[in-house]
Amino acid sequence: MLPFLLYFVTGVVTGYHVYVLLTLAMYGAPFNPLELVSIFGSFCLLIAAYVSLFRPYAAARVALIAALAVWCFYGPAIANIVRTRIAPATAVSSESTRS
Amino acid sequence: MNPVILPYLATALLVLVTVYSAIVSFRQKPDGGASGWIFPNGTRRSSRIVVGIASLALVIGLAAWLSVSARNTTRRSSRFLIPDGYTGWVRVEFEVAGAPPLPVEAGQNVLAIPPSGLLRTSSSEQNGWAKDSYHFSSSAGARPIPDSGPQALIWGKINGEASGSSGKRKYEEFFVGTNQQFKEQAAGRQ
Repeated sequence: MLPFLLYFVTGVVTGYHVYVLLTLAMYGAPFNPLELVSIFGSFCLLIAAYVSLFRPYAAARVALIAALAVWCFYGPAIANIVRTRIAPATAVSSESTRS
Repeated sequence: MNPVILPYLATALLVLVTVYSAIVSFRQKPDGGASGWIFPNGTRRSSRIVVGIASLALVIGLAAWLSVSARNTTRRSSRFLIPDGYTGWVRVEFEVAGAPPLPVEAGQNVLAIPPSGLLRTSSSEQNGWAKDSYHFSSSAGARPIPDSGPQALIWGKINGEASGSSGKRKYEEFFVGTNQQFKEQAAGRQ
């Protein structure tokens, strides 16, 4: 039951998170095509959860590919956040002194 | 689910699934049917039945919730009656104690905006999808105001909640005028 619960909960949580981000596009938030890849990966995780009840090893391979698909969105997003936090803040005045 | 926790939870679970599925995918399959709870070879028949019934209940519950919420996302449309020639911001404040409720005509809420542009009502704000209509009203009658396209005269519609001495109050605002006037007003507000 552990693989089923793990794949199922992860599929639901990541899928819901990306779905919320996709709905924000309705209000003018920038849309990232990788969100669609990620939501497809979440769907595949749900499939892997049910496959794991019968063939746990085959399910693990499906889950691994699905997880990599989800990482397509989370990876760059996390890297972007880390880069933003590490990079020193640029002083606004430095722009004006350059010219 | 708390929207602040959600990305962290999703990332943590994703790391867990990636590591777990990679280990299971690349480890050698144990011989003789040896199986533990971390790396099971299969699931008992009774567990499969429980999962099947729970999934079916989940799908039925989800379908019921979606059909109910789809019914609740529609609201009564609003008919805004704006004084003829009015230009500027219109603000409607909801749930104001002592203010009159919004009249309903032909299945539409009628919002007769006074010359000041500020309408206060005791009615509550409705959420959901509906097509609102806007009209310039005068003694001669009402004529429709275009709210989309190049001739649009309705701009910057927002719904918000403001806190004041009388507590939180929901409001709706929009601008009546040309696009150029709207841009000038918006720049002046900043």
